Amino acid sequence: MKLRLAAAAAFLLIVASPLVSRAAVGAAPVVTRSGGVTTITQLDASAPLLHVVYVVRAGLDRQALSQNGLAALTAQTIVNTPVSGVALRDAIAAAGGSISFTVDPDDIRFQIEALPQDADNVLKLARTAFAAPDFDPATVRSARDRLITRIAENQEIALQVGLDMLNSTLAPSANAGLPAFGLPASLAQLGPDDVRAFYTTYYKRGGSYVSAAGRIDALSAGALGLLGATLPEGSTNAISVKLPKLEGASRQLVAQRDISAPWLIAQYGAPNVASKDFGPMLVLAAFMQRTLADMADVPGVVSETYASRAVGAVYQYENPQPDLVLYVNGGIGNPNRSFSTALSIASILATTKLEGSIDEFKTMAAGDFISSTNTLEARAWLAVVYDENGAQPDYLSRTLDAISQTTAADLQRVARSYLGNPTIALVLPREDS
Amino acid sequence: MMPGRAILAAALAVMLAPLAAFAADGPSTGSLPHGGAYTITQDATLASAAIDLWFRAPGAGYDNGEPGISRVAATAAAAATLESGKSLVGLVRGVGGHLAINVYPDLVDVSASVPASAARRVVAAMSAAYFSPAIDDDAMKIARTDVAVLSAQEHFSPDDLLHDALFAQIFVSGPAHYAPIPADLSDFKSITLDQVKAFAKRAFRSANATIALAGNVDASLLDAVTAGTPGTADTPIPSSLAASPADKTINAAVAGEGLAWTGPPIADERAATALDFVADYLFRDETGVVSKALDPTGDDYVNGQFITLHDPGIMLVTIGGSKPAAVEAKVLGAIAALQTPLDPATFAAAREAFIYHLASDSQAPTEQADNLGWYAGEGNGAYAPSDSASTYWKAARSLDPDYVASVVKKYLAHPVVVRLITTNSKDSTS
Repeated sequence: MKLRLAAAAAFLLIVASPLVSRAAVGAAPVVTRSGGVTTITQLDASAPLLHVVYVVRAGLDRQALSQNGLAALTAQTIVNTPVSGVALRDAIAAAGGSISFTVDPDDIRFQIEALPQDADNVLKLARTAFAAPDFDPATVRSARDRLITRIAENQEIALQVGLDMLNSTLAPSANAGLPAFGLPASLAQLGPDDVRAFYTTYYKRGGSYVSAAGRIDALSAGALGLLGATLPEGSTNAISVKLPKLEGASRQLVAQRDISAPWLIAQYGAPNVASKDFGPMLVLAAFMQRTLADMADVPGVVSETYASRAVGAVYQYENPQPDLVLYVNGGIGNPNRSFSTALSIASILATTKLEGSIDEFKTMAAGDFISSTNTLEARAWLAVVYDENGAQPDYLSRTLDAISQTTAADLQRVARSYLGNPTIALVLPREDS
Repeated sequence: MMPGRAILAAALAVMLAPLAAFAADGPSTGSLPHGGAYTITQDATLASAAIDLWFRAPGAGYDNGEPGISRVAATAAAAATLESGKSLVGLVRGVGGHLAINVYPDLVDVSASVPASAARRVVAAMSAAYFSPAIDDDAMKIARTDVAVLSAQEHFSPDDLLHDALFAQIFVSGPAHYAPIPADLSDFKSITLDQVKAFAKRAFRSANATIALAGNVDASLLDAVTAGTPGTADTPIPSSLAASPADKTINAAVAGEGLAWTGPPIADERAATALDFVADYLFRDETGVVSKALDPTGDDYVNGQFITLHDPGIMLVTIGGSKPAAVEAKVLGAIAALQTPLDPATFAAAREAFIYHLASDSQAPTEQADNLGWYAGEGNGAYAPSDSASTYWKAARSLDPDYVASVVKKYLAHPVVVRLITTNSKDSTS
């Protein structure tokens, strides 16, 4: 009962607090475009490292449905390609850096990082493998083994399982909703010839990004340009795979995994970063986060607890199909009550006139966004997300302005537009676990 | 020699601003206006600020008779209502930030991450909350609840349980013998408001504090520190080593195994850095030699770190999963192998990777402030690895295969072992 009172108090939005204010920050990202490659730089001479995000249009939407996992297998083959006698990943580690990748619905994103004095050499090593991956069966096999391990790791994370299911329902094309790393069974069907063909077809310069943050001053002139020019010229198109929508009243997806408690996840569609609804949705996400935490946590505690981490609201604005996700980990006791209350509040927000100030939630939204920009990787990637959505890549000032200008009417409009009928994912413990 | 006008200007600057000693490319350090020290590392391209307030304070009290008192006192001070009508934790959350209280056997860290535009208000509130604590019954009630929740959580954290149990075996007395968050709630339920007030008054003196600032910050923020009394900082708090620490088996809610070795003090920078290198080379997630040798399809895991302390430091390894004996054999085998110097090429690659990890692990302001405060608290602020101009990086660059092998041979011979067992514990290899 008390928890619901806390949620209701938050709903009344009567707490006064300071307005969002913009921090004085460094120069905005610098964008240059040439030959289909967009280069973004953010110099931070105080940073200890250089970080480069290299984006290639070779993501899930370039796979056919029968090629589930091929985008990831190609990227992993590049990372495992022998350079100077060892896999690229190990060669870069030995040279004072790291390389990893993320599979997105519409791109592959390589994250390359290096100590300033090693940055030139690390980028050179990366270029070597990007330009000429090794399609030897042993290299492809090692890449497949690594992906199978990563799939197994993901399957132990209930929230990830739920998000994967939900993301597949939002995807505009069926292939873009496939699992990021594929499935062990589908990977087993893919060999060196498939990887070579995928690389040859889709690893082109067109639409690629080289976004660098941190110690750019440590690079020799033209180093980022050389990275951008590594792949052959040309552009590619996504493969559109339309499947008939499933008919039915239910909007629930259910999976069972080896976990100790159920997870309940609700997904709503959400605006992208260039939308006028972006700022209000950030504030709305902050409101939902606070409401869920108030319901779940021990009242009055100072420290972050397991209970407060077991619930949350995440606005995934970086996705090609952005969404707002609410989640509750059943390990906190009575997940049904927390979850149903959260859904009720989302529904009420869309229909009830708001009273009082929303400043507290604007401040929270600004603080959360600022916190999310502390790493070089986040800074490099956010600049890409904003640019490819048609917004200026000055993500920080644009976002803080959008939050600052949000009114209670905006919040209600956005709630009405987006918080309608959610899709629900339930990730349950296996019956024998 | 300085001209007269410059001397006058310099004298005025000393009166108007905190004493500052700027190191080239490193953090600036100096004295707070009303006692205590500060260390600042600045990155004006960021929009956030990390504000950490560190104290040397014994976790179980100055007579080691009240386990958990430093945690209760630090939490109560954060929860107490300030003159503004808000508590520190309320203020930090109200500006869109996060507050964390981290308590170690010999140190207390109050850490805030906030938008840079709110940093001045938070510095003022944090220094007021701790340098002139106003802890009352309401704040005590919050602190007791908070510590009770954390204590309950720790029963299900094998790494925390093993850390505390290994320290209890290695240190026979002093703060390191006691868990910062007591597992037995009866240990701190009897702590009174008066005891907490007395503890806070002594431990949270401004003279005993180091403020570590990182991110979009500068020394002018320190003008917001209005509370405090000049004085002398406490020296690092010693704990006594057991003559022959024994292995131990403990019944617990979760299973696990821990190994620990006594290492060099923080003053022996090269040896301490060598053991950091060993931990990175063997145990770092995904890249460590032992970590990579575990079956990726199994449930076994290993964590290893060298904990740099005033004297001595501790190498600590924790193991989880269904085959702890097999993982322990891998750990001990890998450490024994390091008594033989690595070949030069392997060593050079591992050292460069280690140095990269140093930078990668301390790129966010919260990590930098945490790092600067910890090393200052343990008595060697100039050795903080978040600063690439520090003596730490010089020591890291100076490591060679023969020296690392000699340090392994000297310190990592015979571990103390603690095993957590549950009624369901079993090791399929034993």
